[in-house]
Amino acid sequence: MDLLTVSVTARESAGEPYTLIAVTGEADITNRDDLRGVLDEEVTQQPATLILDLSGLRFMDSSALHVILHANRALDRQGGVMALVAPQEAVAKMLMLTTADRLIPVFGSVAEAAAA
Amino acid sequence: MSLTFTSDLSAVREFVRRCAHDAGLAEARIIDLVLAVSEVAANTLRHAKSPGTLDIWHDGDEIVCQIEDKGFIADPLAGQRQPGSDASGGHGLWIVNQVCDLVEMRSDESGTTIKMHMALRSS
Repeated sequence: MDLLTVSVTARESAGEPYTLIAVTGEADITNRDDLRGVLDEEVTQQPATLILDLSGLRFMDSSALHVILHANRALDRQGGVMALVAPQEAVAKMLMLTTADRLIPVFGSVAEAAAA
Repeated sequence: MSLTFTSDLSAVREFVRRCAHDAGLAEARIIDLVLAVSEVAANTLRHAKSPGTLDIWHDGDEIVCQIEDKGFIADPLAGQRQPGSDASGGHGLWIVNQVCDLVEMRSDESGTTIKMHMALRSS
């Protein structure tokens, strides 16, 4: 089994389309390019809302976080919005220590993020 | 307990988790220690052109995780200043300094040794 899996689905909330990316496993410097590849490709599609479901992500190091921050910057420049969903304790700690959770909104569920 | 690593950071984290658990470190602090050691080990992969060695030991007061590699950290204040939240790098050693009770860093041309201390009794 791969250490990290990243899967993309197109969804809709109250008629508004959004892109949902589920990030599962452990993300670190050894596999962040896989994450970067998927995020770059999805940002290129210019979604209005990009939701990252982190509920299955057991670990994220700062180099993987930088990939997310980079995508958030690119999305922001083209008028899109990113949201993070349900980070586990280790991932939440990383977001808090780097204050990334003040830059990108964090929600408890995909439904809450999609409705925001 | 010692582990030599070249690329498998997941194994490094699992090793830290197991040792910290055996030492009696509380769960929330195990998460902190795993974060810290993983960041330092990632620096080894990024900067050192050699494998890294992780040694872990503990006594009644504290658990210590030490990483040695052949890399060289030129900035003696590395990790002492907080990067901006949108910074594209430099968070690693900052995080290590935030979560550990004490961090000792020694670096010269022959290599780098970083010791991360966590008190056991406060847990």
